[in-house]
Amino acid sequence: MDKLTVTAASRVTAADLATARLGSRFGRMDLFSQLALLAVESLGINFDSLARDRVAICLAAATSSLATDVEFWKGRDAAGGLSPTLFTYTLPSAAIGELAIRHRLTGPNLCLVGGDALLLAEAADLIRRGEADACVCVSGDVVSAALAELIRVPATAGASALFLQRGGEGPHVLRENDRDIASWCAVISGAKNLG
Amino acid sequence: MCDPAANLPVVAVAGCGAVTAVGEGVGALRAAMRANASGLRACERFRHPRFQSSVVGAAPATTSGVESDDPAFELAHAALHEAAGEAREVLSATLPTRLGLVLSTTKANIEALERLADGRPCSDAARRHLQPDLLAADLAALHGARGPVQCVSVACTSGLVALQQGAKLIQRGAADAVLVVGVDHLSAFVVGGFSSLKALDPVGCRPFDRDRCGLSPGEAGAAMVLARAELAPRGAVTLRGWGTSNDANHMTGPSRDGSGLAQAIRAALGAAGLRPEEIDYVNAHGTGTPYNDAMESAALRGVFGEACPPFSGAKGMLGHTLGAAGIVETILCVLAMRERLLPGTPRLGASADGVPASLVREPRAAERLDHVLKLSTGFGGCNGALILGHG
Amino acid sequence: MTLSPIELKTKIIDSLKLQDITPAQIDDDAPLFGAGLGLDSIDALELVVMLEKEYGIVVKDIEEGRPAFKSVRTLAEFIVAKRPA
Repeated sequence: MDKLTVTAASRVTAADLATARLGSRFGRMDLFSQLALLAVESLGINFDSLARDRVAICLAAATSSLATDVEFWKGRDAAGGLSPTLFTYTLPSAAIGELAIRHRLTGPNLCLVGGDALLLAEAADLIRRGEADACVCVSGDVVSAALAELIRVPATAGASALFLQRGGEGPHVLRENDRDIASWCAVISGAKNLG
Repeated sequence: MCDPAANLPVVAVAGCGAVTAVGEGVGALRAAMRANASGLRACERFRHPRFQSSVVGAAPATTSGVESDDPAFELAHAALHEAAGEAREVLSATLPTRLGLVLSTTKANIEALERLADGRPCSDAARRHLQPDLLAADLAALHGARGPVQCVSVACTSGLVALQQGAKLIQRGAADAVLVVGVDHLSAFVVGGFSSLKALDPVGCRPFDRDRCGLSPGEAGAAMVLARAELAPRGAVTLRGWGTSNDANHMTGPSRDGSGLAQAIRAALGAAGLRPEEIDYVNAHGTGTPYNDAMESAALRGVFGEACPPFSGAKGMLGHTLGAAGIVETILCVLAMRERLLPGTPRLGASADGVPASLVREPRAAERLDHVLKLSTGFGGCNGALILGHG
Repeated sequence: MTLSPIELKTKIIDSLKLQDITPAQIDDDAPLFGAGLGLDSIDALELVVMLEKEYGIVVKDIEEGRPAFKSVRTLAEFIVAKRPA
């Protein structure tokens, strides 16, 4: 059975975006994509040392793209009409597209809604099945004030990321029947920053 | 690399259900396939300056008389009901805690957002189903699935990814059977959105046609019951292999050379332990946009060279059903395999330059339909490929 | 009637949410697409929205807009020509 290692983990919130500079088109992305990009940047992974088509991207978006959906739909009666840019980002998987473009990752993709607890198991499965050698995992949520009112959940904006690798050197090895997967998910969706 | 000889259980299709632009039920889909019919129609609801075209693939109302505020739930539930009916023997032998559900959707019940934004009536259930994971949970509860539940949303590749996720749940022993359901309903949100991208064909989509110029939005609920092959009826269609990839190129336009989709196809072939020449038919994504269809032609050439198997596209029949597309078009492949009939390409006029000559225009009998390849691509550069086989 | 290049550049920056660039840094004749500012097809469509919103110009067909979108100068000329009185 392959050894799987979490080689890096990070967590970011909207406040961290103030100083983020991740390309000239960063500004047009939806907040979730921005947070995902920043979280992955904070992992400090050197993708040059990896085969790009063997790195998967797994994403979990707690409330889908609803915050952007609300913003997009708000513009329906504006002069000029609906915004094509906003429409592009009315998908939770838009962040996968931006991550893939930025880091030139062409491997497998998975995006789950509300699947925060499942994400690491799915990433591990992708690697164990031989579909990928490593996985960028991002779990996050953006609930704007407008969305909060609509679906009656608290406003929030944050993302956590971790990098899972076959083999690899890092502080934490995933064991086969690892009962710590839940605590790893807590790291993904919680507040701890590693190393 | 994935070892196809690894001792993973074979996953089979035990039942199918669908509600689409050509009617309610898989029977309607089969009839439309045989007739090469199109369900695209001009729809009064989308005759407004906000919409670039009013030609869409609208499903019949499944709640008679009353305009539903929860169309996503209605479509998904109807499809699941039919699929579960076909798979009743398998399901009655499956413990509820061993029955999973995977939902595939891009916008879930976005209808509710439109109603709430306009101040129109909106039930609590409709509002709740704005959230795809809650829609999944409610469908699972209603259909007795107390095993693992997942909600997949990877743009237009969602359907194939959901089937893959269902198969993986069975292969790693987390479930014995999985209800895989895809749904997206027609909405001003989506039709308006594609209009803002100027991505619609004003007269209705014409995949692989020389004059194609855009897609047509569609809606559908589509469901497949997956189970371990030994539990499914003998001779059932099986899921042999799959793959996904990303173009890493542009957010809404595919990579021109089709290399990303070709990579997904090769991954699926590798997982299935098949060579390209063993594929008997390819069901394309074929949205009808200039870029998509050109890219797919390039991808097919990249994998099959000049020996491209017969291929066709269904979106001229159903429109682009987004989160349901991968499921309903795979059901079409299952129907084709059961009848050994190659589906045609509805609304095809003159085929475009550069499209492989093996494009199937009208349905015709196939000598062999043992291995079928289904393709999909989506916004954000996502690509998906699934290979079906016979049990 | 003339159109101030600075005003147009500001509107381009705002509608496309370009970061870390000031109007003064955009050359009047630099290509907007491909090289130069590196805008893509989604940006082109967003500029069409901006033209209607800010100048009341409706671009019916993206092909009509293509030559206008070459540079800030060509876009300014297009706006002056098409702007409703």
